[in-house]
Amino acid sequence: MGLLYPGALVFFAIVPALVLAYLARERPTRVTVSSVLAFRALRGFRKERYGGRPRFDWMFLAELLLLCLAVLAMAGPFVIRRSNPIAVLIDNSAAMQASMPEGGTRFQDAVAKTEAMLLASGGAGKISVYVTAPAPRRIAPPYATIAQARRAISRIKPLDAPDDATAVAALLADIGSGAHYGKVIFASSHAIAAPAPPLVHAITSGDPIPNLALSSFTLRREMFGAEALHARIEVSNFGTETKAIEVTIDGDGTRVADARESLAPGETAALEFPSLPPARIYRAVLSPSDGFPLDNVANATSGAVRAVSILFITPTPADAQGLSTIPGAEVKTVAPDSFTPDDLKRADVAIFEYSAPKELPLVNALLVMPPPDPVFGFAIKPASQIDIAGWSKTDPVTDSVNFRMLNLRSGEFFGEHPWMSAVVSGQGGGLILRGTRQDHRYVATGFNPFPYLGKRNLPMSVLTLNMLSYLAGLGASSAGYRTGEPFLVPAGVTEVTMPWGRKMKAQPGTLFQNVNTQGIYELSGPAVATIPRAVNLDDLAVSDLSNSQPLKVEVAPAPPSAASFAEKASISPWILLAIVVLGAFEAAIVYRRRHRMAEV
Amino acid sequence: MLGLPDEFTPQFLTRLEELRIRTRRQYAGMGKGAHLSPKRGSSLEFSDYRHYSPGDDFRYIDWGLYGRSDKLYIKLFKEEEDLLTYIFLDASASMAFPASDRKFERAVATALAIAYVALGSGDRVMLRVLAGAGAKVDPVFLYGRHRIVELAQKMRAIKPGGEYDLAQALARELHSIRRAGKVFVVSDFLMLLNSVTRGLGLFTAATMDVTAVQILGGHEVQGQGLEGDVEVVDSESGESLRVAIGPREREQYHQTMLRLTREIKQFCTKRGLHYALHLTDQQFQDFFARAVTDLGLAH
Repeated sequence: MGLLYPGALVFFAIVPALVLAYLARERPTRVTVSSVLAFRALRGFRKERYGGRPRFDWMFLAELLLLCLAVLAMAGPFVIRRSNPIAVLIDNSAAMQASMPEGGTRFQDAVAKTEAMLLASGGAGKISVYVTAPAPRRIAPPYATIAQARRAISRIKPLDAPDDATAVAALLADIGSGAHYGKVIFASSHAIAAPAPPLVHAITSGDPIPNLALSSFTLRREMFGAEALHARIEVSNFGTETKAIEVTIDGDGTRVADARESLAPGETAALEFPSLPPARIYRAVLSPSDGFPLDNVANATSGAVRAVSILFITPTPADAQGLSTIPGAEVKTVAPDSFTPDDLKRADVAIFEYSAPKELPLVNALLVMPPPDPVFGFAIKPASQIDIAGWSKTDPVTDSVNFRMLNLRSGEFFGEHPWMSAVVSGQGGGLILRGTRQDHRYVATGFNPFPYLGKRNLPMSVLTLNMLSYLAGLGASSAGYRTGEPFLVPAGVTEVTMPWGRKMKAQPGTLFQNVNTQGIYELSGPAVATIPRAVNLDDLAVSDLSNSQPLKVEVAPAPPSAASFAEKASISPWILLAIVVLGAFEAAIVYRRRHRMAEV
Repeated sequence: MLGLPDEFTPQFLTRLEELRIRTRRQYAGMGKGAHLSPKRGSSLEFSDYRHYSPGDDFRYIDWGLYGRSDKLYIKLFKEEEDLLTYIFLDASASMAFPASDRKFERAVATALAIAYVALGSGDRVMLRVLAGAGAKVDPVFLYGRHRIVELAQKMRAIKPGGEYDLAQALARELHSIRRAGKVFVVSDFLMLLNSVTRGLGLFTAATMDVTAVQILGGHEVQGQGLEGDVEVVDSESGESLRVAIGPREREQYHQTMLRLTREIKQFCTKRGLHYALHLTDQQFQDFFARAVTDLGLAH
């Protein structure tokens, strides 16, 4: 037995003081009686006088006991119990879903072996249960019995999320150091690299198996004006034989594309699908099936291909109407008088028509027939008739543009510009200038390509799309979401529908943590349209089931001998219970005495 | 009823009317009554003979004795007169404690019941209040049953309070009493035995027929409600004692109270006084029915 806070025992000094006060106290209840004649005889029994033998009073004894117990409880007494605590670390990562040749999954095999080892241990101490995914953690306070621990283990399900091998190794090093547990059971598909910690008993479930995996599924829109998306799927063969594979893509449940390929052992091939028809959700399936079906399926959403937000500052809003018909473009029109620099914060591209900003815009910008201004410092020469004399044939702005078909009338020529160069020029000077400043792209035109007329004015439309594509920087693939990696809840989203249909509340601007299942998550809110979000395993290290890297656990050179552990069991709760019972007893006695006194 | 205490039901009053005061001596009264007087009178009870003198009513000449002795003798008879009844009521502060025992109310009821018996028998009653606070009762004899209402109203205005020495107080009262008679002292007698015996002894010495009625509270005798460390304060003297009371002490106290009452009773018995003890936890009417003899009353 010991005390957590022995300093509290100093309060025991109160006890002798209280006893002295009790011996010397003069605090009887004052009662007026008809005569004290009969009480005189009692004086011989009165022993409470100072110096006399104190009268034995159960109540004082009870109060003294209460005080002593309270001081004892403050000191935090505990008893030492010998035990052999066990830690169970079960790998519940995605790799544990892989099938075993003899039937069942790696996870089921790991659970069965763990329970058998637990039963064999005899259960001489508390059992702590840990899991590895999505991050290593203990699932609950330690369990007192093996039966409780087995019930808890049976409730664990393998996730679609990968584990973090470094974090798992760190946890193993901690719990296997001998400071907390006498035995550690580690059940996983990972082996432990030698030298393994002596206290860690590893259960390795599953042998290396060949596996085919969809390791990446991305969508992108290559340029403005194209409704079709470009898909890129990477397929890996983690086996020892050459495999003929087939990948099919469904768009909203309809087959939209497929491809076949032959993959050599260890080869990763990229399959391109350049023009997928529009669909909301795409699902890629790899065949033939294998022992790890999770990575044979991948999802992608067209919503992940981000729209380009265009801010059109113009005194003639009608010029901006045609831009809205371009797929992937969102256009907002603002008059020059009401424009403020804050309007640029939500824009990817700004178009200043017949106007110029008062300061250099911090977004890529197209300036259409800008007036002379101090920011860009254009040297402008107006002309009633402009003709194109030359253009750069290798510039993305001029790519595929039939300049001879362009029908230009009045406009303005640009003189020499300090940091913008002419990509299209006429006899009076530059007609299209392009340049970069502070990592932003700027294009200026001496003629007005708007309104956007699409196929009705194809040469001008191609030029317009070229300029907007250059300014929007298209070509990057959409960002994917991976299982186990929380995503940021967008503004306006208050609810997330999980792949299995359950709805969960979400707070905009916070990380949504419950992303441990592969599938489509529907993000919705009262003021926003439903946003589908595809979450895939997307982890080659998990899919490589034929080559599981052993965990390297660094342990102390000489771990302490931990055959049995001294466990401090606090007895303060029992003391507090005794205080409550004694207090209730005293209260009842005092009430009874006062009630009887009141009858006098 | 008529300002009388609640205990005075019509049935109880009827029973009181059947009682009369009994004395061990004959006392001269102030008028015709039902008690034999030491005076010669015209009652039917023979008293003595004396020689005939001229002028005597010859109807009282005992002719038989004349035939035997040849001398004329006149037969004398006793007189029947009323009885002078003195009731001394203790109204000191001790009669107010313990409040739950209502000792003073029982003492007043006892005094009124005795007074009713006396007035109903045609005797004269004088009530004297020892100590007390509030209204005073005039030291005059009351006569006639109807005066009980007046007496009850006056007694209701008396509040217990103050302190007195029984011996000295009764000595003062004795000085003011000119004619002997029946004396009732109604008190808790919670005082030194010496004071009680001296006080009561004064009246016996003055040839008074004395009845001591001791009124004690039921809780008071048992010491109920006193527990633990108690500072008891004397209601009259203010003297305080600090005692620790437990079951053993309470029993000791109870025995002491019984001893005090026993000593007073022994004194009364030895000196030819009537003594009655009334504990307030008893029914008042039952007490009066059972203690008729002890109170010095008779049917």
